[in-house]
Order: sequence, then C-alpha cells, then structure tokens
Amino acid sequence: MNTEAIQPTRETIRSFILESINIPDLNDDDNLFETGIVNSLFAIQLMTFLEKSFSIEVTMDDLSMDNFQSVNATSLFVERKQNN
Amino acid sequence: MISLLTADQKEKYTEFRDFIKTNVEPCASKWDQNQEMPGEFIKLLGNSGYLGGNIPTEFGGKGWDLVTFGLLNEAVGRGISSLTDLFTIQAMVSMTLLKWGTKEQKDKWLPSLAKGDVIGAFALTEPNVGSAIQNLETKFTKQGDKYILSGRKRWISYGEKADLFLIFGKDENKSVAALITKGTPGLEISPLKNMMGFRAAHMAQLTFHDIEIPEINIVGKPGFALSHVAPIGLHYGRISTSCSALGLLRACFEESIVYAASRKIGNKFVGEEGMIRSLIAKMGTDLQAASLLCYTACKAEDEHTPDVYEKVQMAKYFTSKAVVKAASDAVQIRGASGCHESSPVARYYRDSKIMEVIEGTTQIHEKMLGKTFVDRANKLKKEK
Repeated sequence: MNTEAIQPTRETIRSFILESINIPDLNDDDNLFETGIVNSLFAIQLMTFLEKSFSIEVTMDDLSMDNFQSVNATSLFVERKQNN
Repeated sequence: MISLLTADQKEKYTEFRDFIKTNVEPCASKWDQNQEMPGEFIKLLGNSGYLGGNIPTEFGGKGWDLVTFGLLNEAVGRGISSLTDLFTIQAMVSMTLLKWGTKEQKDKWLPSLAKGDVIGAFALTEPNVGSAIQNLETKFTKQGDKYILSGRKRWISYGEKADLFLIFGKDENKSVAALITKGTPGLEISPLKNMMGFRAAHMAQLTFHDIEIPEINIVGKPGFALSHVAPIGLHYGRISTSCSALGLLRACFEESIVYAASRKIGNKFVGEEGMIRSLIAKMGTDLQAASLLCYTACKAEDEHTPDVYEKVQMAKYFTSKAVVKAASDAVQIRGASGCHESSPVARYYRDSKIMEVIEGTTQIHEKMLGKTFVDRANKLKKEK
C-alpha cells in the first residue's frame, strides 16, 4: 500500500493519541502497547475513535496486535477496512 | 432531565415506571428479605422483552437506544437494586457477545438472552482478584483443539440462576474469555447468601474443576480478553449500574420529601426544619446532576463518541457516591423508623453501598479519571 496515501489517516490517528495521552511526541512506528504508553481503556477508546471517524466496524476477526500496535499499523488497518 | 427526552423515550419511561410500580414495588421488600428473585417473575421480564431491550431486533431484541435502556434501569432501580443487577449482567454478556462473538455464538445465544430464556453471568472477579484484573488466577490451558479451565470466581451476580457464563482467565500470559453453560461437567456453583445489599441478586462462587472447553466457545481472541472483550462488558455494566443508582437516588429523594411533608415534630412538619431542608436540597441537586451525567453518558453511547467511556465512568463515580449520601440522609430524616426493615429506606441504605463497589470501585474510577484528565494537558500545553 502507498504509505503517502495514508498520510491524512495517519495524522488523524496521531492527533487523537497525542490529545489523549500525556506524551511529548510519538513516532509513527512506536509500539503503543508494549511501551506502556496506553492502558486497556485507551485500547477501546481508540477502537471507538476509529469506528466513528472512519466509518468502519472493528470485529472479532480484526483482533490482532498487528492492526493496532502503532500509528502506522493502525493507519494501514483503517485503509484496508475502508477498501474492503 | 425528562424534558430532554424524545416523545418515545418519555413514553417508555412511563411504561417502565408503571410496570415496576405494579409488579415490583409491592414485592421488593419480600424478595430482599427472602434473598430470592422468583423464577416466575424473571419469566415475566423475559416475556416483556425487557431483558433484551438493547439487543438488536435481528437477534430478537427490542433494539432500543441506550437512553431507553438507561431509563429502564432507572425505573427498575427505583424499585429494587437486586433486580437491576439482573439487567446489568444480561447486558454485560449480551453486548460483549454482540461485539466480539462469532456469528455462530451470536445466532445461538443472543435470541435466547433477549427472551430471557437464558440468563447470563459475567465471571471476572476472583477470591484474590478484584480491580487488578491483569492478575487473574483462573487458568485456561491449551490442549490440542480445546482448553482446560481451572480456578475460582467469586461475587458473581446471578451466578446461582445463570444458564450461560462468560469466564475470564489466562493461558500463561494471554488473557482468554470463554463461554460455558450451566450443567457443564466440572462446574460447581455455590450460592453466597447474606450479602449486605443486593440480597436478591443470587450472588455465587464458581469453581472450575478442569473443565473441557472447545475452541468454538472462545469469545474474541486469546490475548484480547482483558484489553478488548472485558472492557465492553464492564462499560455496559457501568451504564446499567449508574442508572440503577440514579433510580435508587430518586427513591431516597421521593421517600424523604414525602416523609418531610407528612411527619410532624410537635406542631411543625419535619420539612419545615432548616437542617432537614438542607439535607433534602443537597439530595435533590445531586439527583438532577446525576440524571444529567447518566443520560449524557447514554447519549454518548448512542452517538458512539470516543469520550463515552469517561462519560460513563463519571456518571458511575458521581451517582454511586451521591446515592450513598442520599440513602444515609434518607435514614437520618426518618430517624428510628428508617433503621427498621419496615421502611424501604433501610434497604436503600444497604443497597446504596454496593453501588460504590461494583463495576469499578470509587477509588478505581478516581484513579482512571484522574489519569484521563491529566493526560489531556498535552493539548492545552501545545495551545499555550
């Protein structure tokens, strides 16, 4: 997938995370969960944000850390869902 | 608050209040004392469709919005808290399955849950684990294409009556959620009687003696049970509990104002005393504030906004604290008669404290909400 094409999605997701979590900055490949940046409540907040903002539905089949571990991974997941 | 509701929502609230006044309030004290929610009454609830109110119509439910679900919980909470606990757990199990269940799990269980033919139980809490759910001791051990479940759960609402249990545990470092049914070999159900409040909520301890669970009973995916599966159930549990506490708060307020306007001390009504008016003023203001918090949270759920989780936490935090104060003051206003079970406020007092403990204690909500608010400083810092 063309990573330039997902830039607006990436910006939207990064902004949401930075407005929700008290960290100075966030690299697009930082692992959100392994570094302890976010807690479990944030996991479903992020999921709801994605569903609402991008008109997608996260289902059981989407439960994979590969889909949510970083800003880049989440952006690619959103694009895939929108294109399905 | 009522003025902010749609015509349909107002109509449903009137229907719920009438149902509770007719079918629940005359029996509430007896059910509480007997520590029993009669099976026939649960069947009546099933026939009314109320137990599946928030389940979509495609699965046999009523497909209500969350505000309407909240109104039902408030109306029921006005009658007896033990009963709202049934709506709480039914919603926790149903909505978790709706979000994370497989198609087969949804088709199999949601219609029965909607009709009340199946009662659910949400089995998360353990004898050694309450708020710190990351430390669950219940074990799922993978063996070929099945799991072996062992461990114990405690303080499980309606565990004694439930037909379908959603169990949370761990397979080494991965969290797992799975369904088991009543009668499964190795499932031991021990009723827990003599609770302080919610006495008719059929609390139970569950013991799992190496229960075999096929993979098709896993809900969500291993590794996500605590991060994604349980939070959905807890979220609906908090919505239900908030509105149930709101109903109890309304009960305290209504009992108190009627008593204050009827009971005389010498030549004066109790309600003419400034100190009593002060207690009632605080109670009435808390009632209005709690109502706004609860239905704002329900509306956020209907609009599916990402801040719904903190709104629900705030509603649960505020309302459960307010009802403890209100119930204590309702007893105080009545004096000695409020300390006897012949008055409903004695039950309100016992039930109110449970509200501050279930679905996240007051202290857990303070910890989480405090973090949420401080984290928001990032945006403000950038704006300055």
